[in-house]
Amino acid sequence: MNTQSAINTYVKEIGGWAASQLEACTRCGLCADACHFYQATGNPEYAPVWKTELLRRAYEQRFTIAGRLKLAVGLDKRVTDEDLKHWSTIVYEACTLCNKCAMVCPMGIQLGPLIHEVRSGMAAAGVVPGDLMSATMKQKEVGSPLGVTGKTWAERMEWIGDEWEVKIPVDVKGADTLVVFTSIELMKFPDSIAAIAKIMDKAGEKWTTSSNGREVVNFGFFKADEELTKLFLNRVFEAAKELGVKRIMISECGHAYDAFRWTAANIMEVPKGVAITHIAQVMHDFWKAGRIKLKKGIYDDGTITFHDSCKIQRRGGIIKEPREILKWLAPRSFKEMTPNKEQALCCGGGGGVISIQEADPLRFAVFGMKVDQMKEIGAKSVCMVCSNCRLQFTEGVAHFNSDVKVRGLSEMVSQALE
Amino acid sequence: MGEKTIYQQLKEEGLSRRDFMKFCGLLSGMMGLEFVAPAKALGALARPDPARMVAEALESKPRLPLIWLELQDCAGCTEAISRSPSPSLVNLVLNKISVDYQETLMAAAGFQAEQAKLDTMKKYHGKYVLVVEGSPTIGENGVYCTIGGRSNLDLLKEAAEGAAAIIATGNCASFGGIPKAQPNPTGARGVWEVITDRPIVNIPGCPAIPEVTTGTIAHFLVMGQLPKTDSLHRPLTFYGHTIHDHCLRRPFYEAGKFAEGFRSEGAREGHCLYKLGCKGPTTYNACSSLKWEQGLSFPVQSGHPCLGCSEPHFWDGGGLYQGQSAPLDRPSLAAIGTAAGVGAALGIAMAGANSLKKRNAGKTTPPPDKGSSE
Amino acid sequence: MEWTDILRFFRGPFFAVSLIIFVGGMAYRLFRIILLGWPRDRVESRGSKAVGIVRTYLKGLVLFPFIPWVKRTFGKNSLTYIAGGLFHLSLVLVIFFATPHMLVWKSLLGFGWPTLPLPVADWLSAIGIVSLLVLLVNRLTHPVLKLITKSPLWLNWTLVFLPFVTGYVMTHHLFSRYEVLFSLHMMTVDILLIWIPLGRISHFLFYFFSRTIHGAQAGKRAVTP
Repeated sequence: MNTQSAINTYVKEIGGWAASQLEACTRCGLCADACHFYQATGNPEYAPVWKTELLRRAYEQRFTIAGRLKLAVGLDKRVTDEDLKHWSTIVYEACTLCNKCAMVCPMGIQLGPLIHEVRSGMAAAGVVPGDLMSATMKQKEVGSPLGVTGKTWAERMEWIGDEWEVKIPVDVKGADTLVVFTSIELMKFPDSIAAIAKIMDKAGEKWTTSSNGREVVNFGFFKADEELTKLFLNRVFEAAKELGVKRIMISECGHAYDAFRWTAANIMEVPKGVAITHIAQVMHDFWKAGRIKLKKGIYDDGTITFHDSCKIQRRGGIIKEPREILKWLAPRSFKEMTPNKEQALCCGGGGGVISIQEADPLRFAVFGMKVDQMKEIGAKSVCMVCSNCRLQFTEGVAHFNSDVKVRGLSEMVSQALE
Repeated sequence: MGEKTIYQQLKEEGLSRRDFMKFCGLLSGMMGLEFVAPAKALGALARPDPARMVAEALESKPRLPLIWLELQDCAGCTEAISRSPSPSLVNLVLNKISVDYQETLMAAAGFQAEQAKLDTMKKYHGKYVLVVEGSPTIGENGVYCTIGGRSNLDLLKEAAEGAAAIIATGNCASFGGIPKAQPNPTGARGVWEVITDRPIVNIPGCPAIPEVTTGTIAHFLVMGQLPKTDSLHRPLTFYGHTIHDHCLRRPFYEAGKFAEGFRSEGAREGHCLYKLGCKGPTTYNACSSLKWEQGLSFPVQSGHPCLGCSEPHFWDGGGLYQGQSAPLDRPSLAAIGTAAGVGAALGIAMAGANSLKKRNAGKTTPPPDKGSSE
Repeated sequence: MEWTDILRFFRGPFFAVSLIIFVGGMAYRLFRIILLGWPRDRVESRGSKAVGIVRTYLKGLVLFPFIPWVKRTFGKNSLTYIAGGLFHLSLVLVIFFATPHMLVWKSLLGFGWPTLPLPVADWLSAIGIVSLLVLLVNRLTHPVLKLITKSPLWLNWTLVFLPFVTGYVMTHHLFSRYEVLFSLHMMTVDILLIWIPLGRISHFLFYFFSRTIHGAQAGKRAVTP
């Protein structure tokens, strides 16, 4: 463990953006009740403001006179090895970076990104939960956090194509759209991959996948290791450049959309003229443009609701598109959970939490709140556009013995194609 | 001593017994004989009758010699007293009872007048009352105010030496007054800052309310000692409350009805003058209770905010029409600008140092660990 | 040393000094932060940052403070919302619209404005005092607040509370002579002015950074802030 690395990282990376927000905090504590981990457990250490404590200390003690004075007279403590270990658990296992806290903060402080910054220091110090670390290493070495090799990937894709009778193009130069899937979809929800392939074909899109840029998940992003984040992003960018595509489409994944669309350009050179899109947007655009036609009301067989994924809806802005589709597919049965849209409750599996076994009790405790939400409206099924959420929901409903059906919107849309 | 008592003198002047008792009653009221303790101490009755006390005093005591010195003054306090409507208490007290020397009012002048003063001082050494109007000036040994070729400090010390008590009338004598306003070029002071070994009472005001001056003189006459005072040596009887405490416009203050300007609706309605700079709340004087011109009116009643003229430094009290709550010292725009500039410069310097720190931290950060945590 | 002299001191030279320290201190804080580096945002916006900023200010300053119960976090934090909101309302209204304070501004700026009737300003300051007491109790009992509160915050509370209380007592001429009360009020105000740049009370300045950042990031993503 190298605590000094963490501090150096904070010192290096805190600029006016972080500093002004750290200064703005009034210690009002309202962020606590916006955090689903705090709500589910009542542990005050899960208050978002407490999660950023080490960042505050590093900032004040290095950049301000007041901070140094407080340290000198014993009114504040240095960041120690124990602190790093303790907070590592909190920021990796009791936070999904869902950013609900920022919505509630009276000052509007972006606590999610600040907690990401805390993780960044932990990553530099090597204080990262073991499961997350090994998943990240697997992605670095093999290309997938689940350890799926290129060979396995190709074999699996071929199988999906056969099984669902869809064409899945690979490494097609000159295609317009590069579609990148997640290992989760590959291994757990292959129907989603088949569905997306079907939709792209039906829409007549010139699309392809890439054997090199085959993983859209970014564990470097979860770990908050900028080098690895860039490495994993670059694999896809290089593929995009090599294949000469006009846009990259992210399949059902949340944090990948955050990483590619809202983060990449600020940490590295991104290929020019290559747009970043998400399947939720794309299939909505196809439908609106008449490139695909959907059967109306084919899912009117019981109340269905939509789960907003933090990185796609609240932090991504793709809010009305999935709803318009759902309202077409289930005009009489679609009901919103409360809260919803940009105020929606996180599923509890994002931010890498789902990959950490020790965090299981926590993520299920949080998921209990989703179960309550669905019960409240009598939902028979729930759909979403993020496969990480889908995995959390699948495991969650099993854990709670709920009979709510968990679906992906893409596979629903593909079933409804006319 | 063979001297006539005051009563005898007044009787000779034609004052009837009846009028004398009325006079005593008025005098006792003017003195504000609320302070029974002094009365008891004088061995008076168990339930003292103030008027009777006064009568007994005047019947038994001889005339009180009084010297009235004017130093650096405008003679306003004298004018106020002499302008009181007659026949009046004030006239009776001053003209009939005392005053051997008063520059403005006396007919005599020149060296003879000065000699008369010195004679009184010699004859009644230790017994006369010294009233001082106008401020002593200590600048350059008192050269800024000289009378008959002698400095005011000289004259004051000479007169004070044999005085039984000193009454400083008006803000100038009490606290320095207008001459003391910044930058105080003459070195004006209150009398009590120059004469420290004599009992002194301050009757501040600009001018002092005539009845307050004469009431205090009367108190000394009747009781043989100066009245009880506050920490600024002002008689509590008259200076125990602020203008605000007894102001007739107080209900408007409480209700928050203020005159916005001198020609405003509020002014016509007689609303509180707080917004026009009234210093009533911090000004101790009898204006709102005793009033002026024998109870006719006082500034606020007539529509003008109180200037705070019985308080020390009132000329430097921040503008006569400036709200009483306003700060007395405002940093100039230049000072504020400088402060902001210095602050900004220090902030920039600190930011520079911090930026340097950031750059160095970047250089020394070891690459991220490859292994997992403990 | 007379109370009139003490009053002159705290209304006079000490006030001027504290105002200068306040301005200099806030300038220092501002520039120390501003020049710490703001990398350019190279991410392409989906929506308008400006729209996001305007919306978040309207929601955060004009709308939600007056209807806090619509927030989901209100239930468990009603004291914080209500007392915090009322305190700020009282603070702003009393500082700018109570007659004695308006006269202070008038002497500093050269112009004044209409003010609230005294009984209204009076009630508002009483509400401010009660709110502060409620917030104190809240901070002493709420589990999260107990965890995150360090000593400077107690000082913040005290230095804000004292001017409120002394001002109220002064207006009502309670307990002592007016110049004593006025002196205490000015003393506590001057000390507060000096303390503000040193701690978290200067959040009123940094609010504009965090709110703008929040609005911009929401506007960029075309999300309602």
